[in-house]
Amino acid sequence: MELAAILAVPALASGLSLSPLGRRFAALITLVAAAIVLGLAASVAIGVMRSGRLDALDQWLTCDALGALILLLVAFVGFTAAIFSWGYIGGRAEQQAKIQRYYCLYNLFLLSMLAVPLLANVALMWIAVELTTLLSAFLVGFEDTAEALEAAWKYVVLTTLGAVLALLGFLILYWGSRVAGLEPFTWVGLAEAAPHMPPALLWPAFLLILVGFGTKVGLVPMHTWLPDAHSQAPASICALLSGVETTTALYVILRLFPVVGSAPGLDARPWFIGFGLVSVGIATLLLIYVRDFKRMFAFSTVEHMGIILVAAGLGGAEAHIGAAYQITGHAIAKSFCFFAAGMTVMAAGTQEIAAVRGLIRSSPLSALALVAGGFAIAGAPPFAIFVSELVILKAGLTSGQYLAIALLAFFVVVAFCAVMFHVNRMAFGVPERDTPVKAAPLSCKVTLALAAIPLIAIGLYVPGPLQELLNAAASAMGG
Amino acid sequence: MLERIVYNLLQVFVVVAFAPLVEGVTSRLKEIIQSKRGPSIFQPYRDIWKLLHKDEIVSEQSSWIFRAAPYVAFTAPVFVALLIPVLTRYPLFFAFMGDMLGGGFVLALGGFFAALAAVDTANPYGPMGASRTRMVGFLAEPVFIIVFLTVSFVAGSTIPYIVQTRWVTPIANFFEPSHVLLMIAFLMLILAEDGRIPVDSPSGQFELAMIERSKSLEYSGRGAALMKWAGAMKLFVLIIIFLNVLVTPWGLAEGMGLGEVLLAIPLVLLKVLGFVLVLVYIESSLAKLRLFRITEFLGAAFVISVVAMITRLSGV
Amino acid sequence: MTSASFPVISALDALTGALFLLTALGVVATRQVLASLQLFILQSLLLALSAVLLGIGLGSPHLLAVAAITIATKTLMIPWLLRHTVSAEVYRTREIERVLNIPSSLLISAVLIMVAYAVANPLLNAVDVPFAHVNLPLGIAAMFLGAFTIAVRREAVPQLLGLLAVENGVFFAGIAIVPNLPVIAELAAAVDVPVITLVIGLLTRQIHRRLGTTSVGRLAALREE
Repeated sequence: MELAAILAVPALASGLSLSPLGRRFAALITLVAAAIVLGLAASVAIGVMRSGRLDALDQWLTCDALGALILLLVAFVGFTAAIFSWGYIGGRAEQQAKIQRYYCLYNLFLLSMLAVPLLANVALMWIAVELTTLLSAFLVGFEDTAEALEAAWKYVVLTTLGAVLALLGFLILYWGSRVAGLEPFTWVGLAEAAPHMPPALLWPAFLLILVGFGTKVGLVPMHTWLPDAHSQAPASICALLSGVETTTALYVILRLFPVVGSAPGLDARPWFIGFGLVSVGIATLLLIYVRDFKRMFAFSTVEHMGIILVAAGLGGAEAHIGAAYQITGHAIAKSFCFFAAGMTVMAAGTQEIAAVRGLIRSSPLSALALVAGGFAIAGAPPFAIFVSELVILKAGLTSGQYLAIALLAFFVVVAFCAVMFHVNRMAFGVPERDTPVKAAPLSCKVTLALAAIPLIAIGLYVPGPLQELLNAAASAMGG
Repeated sequence: MLERIVYNLLQVFVVVAFAPLVEGVTSRLKEIIQSKRGPSIFQPYRDIWKLLHKDEIVSEQSSWIFRAAPYVAFTAPVFVALLIPVLTRYPLFFAFMGDMLGGGFVLALGGFFAALAAVDTANPYGPMGASRTRMVGFLAEPVFIIVFLTVSFVAGSTIPYIVQTRWVTPIANFFEPSHVLLMIAFLMLILAEDGRIPVDSPSGQFELAMIERSKSLEYSGRGAALMKWAGAMKLFVLIIIFLNVLVTPWGLAEGMGLGEVLLAIPLVLLKVLGFVLVLVYIESSLAKLRLFRITEFLGAAFVISVVAMITRLSGV
Repeated sequence: MTSASFPVISALDALTGALFLLTALGVVATRQVLASLQLFILQSLLLALSAVLLGIGLGSPHLLAVAAITIATKTLMIPWLLRHTVSAEVYRTREIERVLNIPSSLLISAVLIMVAYAVANPLLNAVDVPFAHVNLPLGIAAMFLGAFTIAVRREAVPQLLGLLAVENGVFFAGIAIVPNLPVIAELAAAVDVPVITLVIGLLTRQIHRRLGTTSVGRLAALREE
């Protein structure tokens, strides 16, 4: 029942946002809806831990451990971004209609992302992934500048192209499952049918879905839209895009891994590791040259998606737990980073790294948040990503993939240095000129405080139930 | 044996006699579509008759090429008419004298001589038109070759009669993707080779814009008549190759009786009329392309023919 | 059950496939924005025709429903949506300068068609389904050509049409290999197409208002330098 409610609440909120009660009402209703969804997601996660799998609505909705993890993360970032939007968007001198449209689309976007792990039918899940792009197009272009519109255009066209390529992959999978004689077009059904499908069908389908949805995840070389879209959108939307939207697309690819793995004679792991390493490498290279700090965080997303993919490709329970942990840590840390970036933009008025200096003097909260976020996302102790990357490296060493681990470690270290270099330059140093300090809205500070709690906590201590959830999600990945 | 020779000569006679009629019908139909009355369909015959009875003026500065070109241009399509199936499905006496590539070269020979003759005079528009014709010609060559190669590969021979038997006689082949694409590519080729819209304007009088017609500007009297007739025959021969070898063998005589062969004449002319209707429709709905866009037009024809070849070879 | 048992339908389907491929080539090559829209509508009609033929041949009412949905969304709704979101002036534009000139883009298209056939071959060798030997390679070829259109055209509307042409290609292949896809899935995918058009149309309108041009291929402000 909660599964259906999770989908119904944001739908209702999006409709209510358009009511003539004003922009504050829209912001309030969004916040309330996001809070309810977070509560429901937590209860779903507990339910899944207790009974293994939840079903609702006559098997149209289903949720297992991996889905519950993604659901929880989406709900959490949705909640914090809604609080951040209160001040960041609501405080602007824009037309009321535009603000209300923002909240309406925000709720619909959140709905589509929540639907991806919940829908049982694979074709409907594809539609949900498509909708995450289409519903966020105007959110990316919200700022209405030439760069924002260019970013929105590239975003829509390239990710939709990828999704349509993946559609052919899914159709071929369906073809194969009919050849194998098994009907239901759900993930469970596919996993059952996969050993009976002819490999000549399974292989092109896998590649098409990897490349097609890989575009949405931001894997190199299909990543060209990502730095633009994730830097031109307003900070609250960037948090959603980078933190959880790419993760939902990656979820689909991770679900595919056990399906392909169960077929005899096919090895998907070199592809995962290959794509992952290339993404991490190119992202690291671009992190050195980046000139805009929101783009820097966007490239960091590409890097982390690559790391998760490598972890999934390494195989084995350890690596998968590392991947699940990395997904969690990344969602929390990346959204925090973008909140910090949003506050920095409000304080400094620019997105260029070179133009921001000595932030600690002009806006100490932003500077602190930026430094903390930078440390967290780059993988410094005591934050979660450090632990998860160590787990992945260790798992790789024990499974004998020395070259991959060596490359991965090298790239991670270089990326760490690059991010630290940029963040420190911005936070410390002598400010070039006296920039007028714009006071950040209270809600933004509240958001930072709220988001900082799990950021710090999860690195130091993973609570028992969360650990169980991660373990269960990892086994769902391994298949 | 005797019948084969007779039918062969009959088919040449048909080509020579009915080519101006096709030209006349085409112009009349175009005018009718444009809501005008148009000249009589027998007007080209009257023009040729009139020109044959006029004096011929030949420049002193021109060489033997200028004097010989009308005869070469006239003979080329006649020669090709010996090789292609015009009235019958079975090969006739001269059928194995040359294949499609040979026929294509002979047609090109006629055009080549006409272009040389245009350069031979001192008329400024002659060489201009000749160079443009050569440009269109060499862009069209690859299309010809790919089309002929594909059909010959499928048929296992380059003789037109055998190609026709193996390529279009089985009705299922008609709808094959490669067949449709080849037909479209060859249609674009006919438009280019014969100087129809969208490549060139056949009824235009403005010398600066002429491509095909400027080759015969300097001729008068008998030379002009022969060039005009040769142009009409070239179109007729290309249409016959298109229809009988590439599209469908409907209307061609199957038996050896004289009655059947004579019956084939109106049937083939009916097919040609159908093609003329399509041609007139295309000519009336498109505009003439600018000169450098002709490369795009012929490039598209080339790509379509290549795609047809790939489609056939990969067994789609 | 092979295509040999449906000779007439096979033949007509092959004809439809050839014309489908030609329209895909046309969308890559034409200069005028309006002409690419008309070619796209023709392509969608050919897709619907193929669905009808296959529906009759395989006795599948699903496919007839697909044909009806295709006609409703792609031939009727999309031009209507575009007319109401993108201003009429866009339809009069011609792309004079292109990323790649027309003969070169056509040559690359020919290479892409070859690649598509090579990709489709192992799939066809593995499983034999009636009509798939025409629909699958031509559908994949149309997909590649649509993706190439997005890369090569600068104007907004042809890029959108290239995207929709990729979807046309996917469905052209899909109707042969999975004729019994549940209608819910086909309906959902059909809803997807108007939403894409609506979003992109509105985005184009916004770009046109803000930047005064719809040459989206020229927007290159965001890069690392």
